[in-house]
Amino acid sequence: MTEGSGFEKLRAQTRLEDILRVATEFERTARDFYTALIPKVSKNIRYLVEELAQEEQNHFDLFSELGNRADLEIQIQQMVDTPASNSRFSDCIHLPELGEQPDDQAVLQYALGREQAAMEQYRSLAESAPAGPIKDLFNFLADEETQHKTELEKLYYEIVHHGGV
Amino acid sequence: MSVRDVLSPFSAWKNLFRDPVTIRDPLNDRPGSERYRGFHQNDIDKCIGCGTCEAICQNGAIDMVPVSDIATREGDSGLRPRIDYGRCCWCALCVDICMTGSLGMSNEYKWVESNPDAFRFTPGVDSKPWDDAKLGYERPAGHRLTSPERIEMGELPPKERIDSFVEMVEGYSVEQAKLEADRCVSCGLCIATCPTHMSIPDYIAAVRDGDYERGLKLLYETNPFSQVCGRVCTRKCETSCAARHEGDPIAIRWLKRHITDQVPFEKYRDIIGDPAPATGKTVAIVGGGPAGLTTAFDLARMGHQVTVYEASAAAGGMTRYGIPDYRLPQDALDRDIEVILSMGVEIHYNTRIGKEISMAQLEQDFDAVVLAIGLQLGRSTRIPGSDHPQVTKAIDLLYQIADGKALEAPKSVAVIGGGNVAMDIARSMARLQMQQHGKIRVTVTALEDKAHFLADPVEIKESLEEYIEILDSRGPQACVIDEQGTLVGLRTWKVLSIFDENNRFAPVYEESDEQLHEAEMVIEAIGQMSDVSILGEELVERLEWNRGRIQVDSMGRTSESWLWSAGDCVNGPDVVHAVADGHRVAASIDAMFKQKGKSA
Repeated sequence: MTEGSGFEKLRAQTRLEDILRVATEFERTARDFYTALIPKVSKNIRYLVEELAQEEQNHFDLFSELGNRADLEIQIQQMVDTPASNSRFSDCIHLPELGEQPDDQAVLQYALGREQAAMEQYRSLAESAPAGPIKDLFNFLADEETQHKTELEKLYYEIVHHGGV
Repeated sequence: MSVRDVLSPFSAWKNLFRDPVTIRDPLNDRPGSERYRGFHQNDIDKCIGCGTCEAICQNGAIDMVPVSDIATREGDSGLRPRIDYGRCCWCALCVDICMTGSLGMSNEYKWVESNPDAFRFTPGVDSKPWDDAKLGYERPAGHRLTSPERIEMGELPPKERIDSFVEMVEGYSVEQAKLEADRCVSCGLCIATCPTHMSIPDYIAAVRDGDYERGLKLLYETNPFSQVCGRVCTRKCETSCAARHEGDPIAIRWLKRHITDQVPFEKYRDIIGDPAPATGKTVAIVGGGPAGLTTAFDLARMGHQVTVYEASAAAGGMTRYGIPDYRLPQDALDRDIEVILSMGVEIHYNTRIGKEISMAQLEQDFDAVVLAIGLQLGRSTRIPGSDHPQVTKAIDLLYQIADGKALEAPKSVAVIGGGNVAMDIARSMARLQMQQHGKIRVTVTALEDKAHFLADPVEIKESLEEYIEILDSRGPQACVIDEQGTLVGLRTWKVLSIFDENNRFAPVYEESDEQLHEAEMVIEAIGQMSDVSILGEELVERLEWNRGRIQVDSMGRTSESWLWSAGDCVNGPDVVHAVADGHRVAASIDAMFKQKGKSA
């Protein structure tokens, strides 16, 4: 990577407001994606998609609530470093084609990829955000995504490696 | 009077300088000798409540009693010996036979107590002054009433078995079996651990007595797959065997097989007995594996009319199509199936549910339906390149081999997985390679390290004997394909850890430790699943599910009143668990019929 191009872009600063907007969109698209998937998948794996949709809904609610808080208006205008993971995170807003009836493994693999991107993004943001409620929020979200990813990995092992004895 | 007479009284004076041989205060100070057999001591944590001390006591002085704070668990009855010193003759047979060495005797033998009931207590639980006494009687090292070593099972040496699928385990001779049976102390801890609660001590006693017909009858009371389980049972029973604490566990699986080997097959049916008179009730069973056929066996013996629908050309499920012949010859499986069918069970082969007949039809035509469809589909890692035609699933290959289909063995094979299925396919491919190419090149790569392999240690040992390379802690990253589209091999990274500190799956890799395992074929043996699509969308929607599996109650009943489910598809893969499931479901269906009969 040369100093003048990509590196500079990665070093660029972004307003927190923009980051929060992308993050809210990230959670919303995921929620809608999983919600739309619920009737498509077989009932035996529907629990998985329902749980994922609920998880994303919770995060979306958090961001929506944040946007409505008057006390954070000034902080949201502040500039932070754009995380290196930003483009991958933004890419996750574009939804994949999992086919008409994806199976549990395909859903899980997609979900794990999203959790990984979100985890890295929120952790980077938490590191560069100024001390205060926004930093706390990103730390909280990074922890949430980490925990969720761990849960999904456990589930992945239980489901995919089931019977592999 | 001689001089001697004068001096002799003085000769006694020399004794003044000797240590006394008498006790100064004989009423209060009477220590037992160093190895005196006094009151008992019991290391309560070491004791497993096997009751062997109770069984051997000739005076009936020992009772096994429940103790608060000690729970019953696998391999530990939760009971502890209570000793009645009104009966105890201090012979120490209980100490000599103790299977864990927990029981000993202090050298304390005096105890004054006005309450006679106090002389009946539980050593190690009821605190006593001699609990920490260092002196007393312990079983001398090397002194055993039972042999600690199991009788070795003969098997074909690697060079003789490596190019053939002939059964490799030879089976015990009568003499060997009797010697092995003699090691069993009949504690019965194994019965609780066995999923189908076989009468293990009783059939081992039958081996000891040479009464094989009694043994066979006992086997079939709880396990119609005795030939199969006598060869490939996962033998959880042996993990709770009292003998394993100071030696090898009893070879329960081999003794079971020995009984089935000793009784001529023509006699089986007479020994097992006839089914009850027909009840007029009908049951359909989907799937002719161990769970389905055990259900069929039990229900047929109860007099119900059973019809089994089997998708393959032969019954047995994964025991036929997943376990290679060198471990389980198909004729042994056929004998088990023949006994089951002889009870009047009707079976339709090559009949796939959802194709030849629907679940809706079964619901309409039968009084009850059982779903025992197993885990017939293999999972894929879905790593890059895993969709290449030369990347295949172990389950599919094992099926082809069992089905007698000609299989061209690739000269080099990489297997992904560290369980028994991985070992089965690796060993099968090694045999085919030997037959077709005269040499073996099979590499097994497993996520787990050797200490945590999922496969049976015996399988691993035998695989290594058969020149199979087993690499532990290797995580598959990609199936490598060259520019011509040819599969080159499997790329793996070293696994640093699989689980995090909370024992959750979170593999960590050492990316710099990358290896390419050259292979013309990569075989995935990582997991299995059920094909629930055969049920049809409508039934899938009606059924309740529990995190991907059909929801059943403790008796195998689904959310549909006419439908039960059993075996691998609900409880995971294991033959003897499937047998136990089959019994539960059959009992539940029979109870339902009886209930309906009463209310009609």
